[in-house]
Amino acid sequence: MANQLRFLVVDDFSTMRRIVRNLLKESGFSEADEAEDGVVALQKLRASNFDFVVSDINMPNMNGFQLLAEIKKDDKLKHIPVLMVTAEARKEDIVLAAQQGAAGYIVKPFTKATLEDKLNHILKKMGLQ
Amino acid sequence: METGDSTPGPGDGASPDVHHKIGQLTRQLHDTLRELGLAEKLRGTAEELPDAKSRLSYIARLTGEAAEKVLNRVDQAKSQHDQLTTETQRIKALMVKDPVAAVAKGHIMNFLTDVEQANQALDQHLTEIMMAQDFHDLTGQVIARVVNLATNIEDQLVQLLIQTAPPDAVLPKPAPAAPDGEGHPVLQGPVVNAEGNADVVTSQSEVDDLLASLGF
Repeated sequence: MANQLRFLVVDDFSTMRRIVRNLLKESGFSEADEAEDGVVALQKLRASNFDFVVSDINMPNMNGFQLLAEIKKDDKLKHIPVLMVTAEARKEDIVLAAQQGAAGYIVKPFTKATLEDKLNHILKKMGLQ
Repeated sequence: METGDSTPGPGDGASPDVHHKIGQLTRQLHDTLRELGLAEKLRGTAEELPDAKSRLSYIARLTGEAAEKVLNRVDQAKSQHDQLTTETQRIKALMVKDPVAAVAKGHIMNFLTDVEQANQALDQHLTEIMMAQDFHDLTGQVIARVVNLATNIEDQLVQLLIQTAPPDAVLPKPAPAAPDGEGHPVLQGPVVNAEGNADVVTSQSEVDDLLASLGF
């Protein structure tokens, strides 16, 4: 069931979107789409069904915090777990993300094992694994 | 004796009057900068220059590490590939010579096990090579900050030019001000120097510990 989940990967750097999508594929999650910022991500989330969001924070137009806030205040989207994958390493940012409802927080640069570990942890909490 | 004529004549050295005028101009420039708030801005920008230097060093370090990592992985993969090629030729020769013996003595089975292991190793090398490309994202963010600093310096110098130019001078228009971020937290991007900075985490385990300590 878990490997049929549909992911949305949000990052302003195409290289990072590609890396995360490849890692998801290697971990058995081949259903993934991508967005280059929060605005596009929100449009895609509202236009289609996604089960999981992996998002950067520092992005133009709408950053990851703003995207997270929009998702959590939307009744149709707020159930979707959001995993932050970001270079922002300040403690206040990590705490803010958790308070706003992020399901997890990964600091770049990260490893495949870290991503898999966080995904498994979140999916277990969702009862999908 | 003071003559009242401030224009030095040909062959004159720097007269006390010239010194006085330079002093007046310097004071005027200083006061103008202070009144316009530019002195503080310029000082602030100057203080950011060492930070820009450390950011550029960070870019050099990260790109160097990424290149090193990729080259090491390629070396390892090529070495394993060479071994596999040699082994393939050896097994091929055995099969041509005596196929039954090659199977019966376990050469084929051993070879298949080697191929399987080599495939796993190759997959790991490719994943690591892919992960090494994350420097593009991290350095890109840092480069953007350095470019922003250069833009600020340019903007402040243009402002200075405008404020100190003669009234009839043709001047460039100042660059439009950057958006204020609408009160959202100012994001810092990658930490280029975490040493002695207690406000940032330096590893994923510190992130996990922080969130666990807060009950998340």
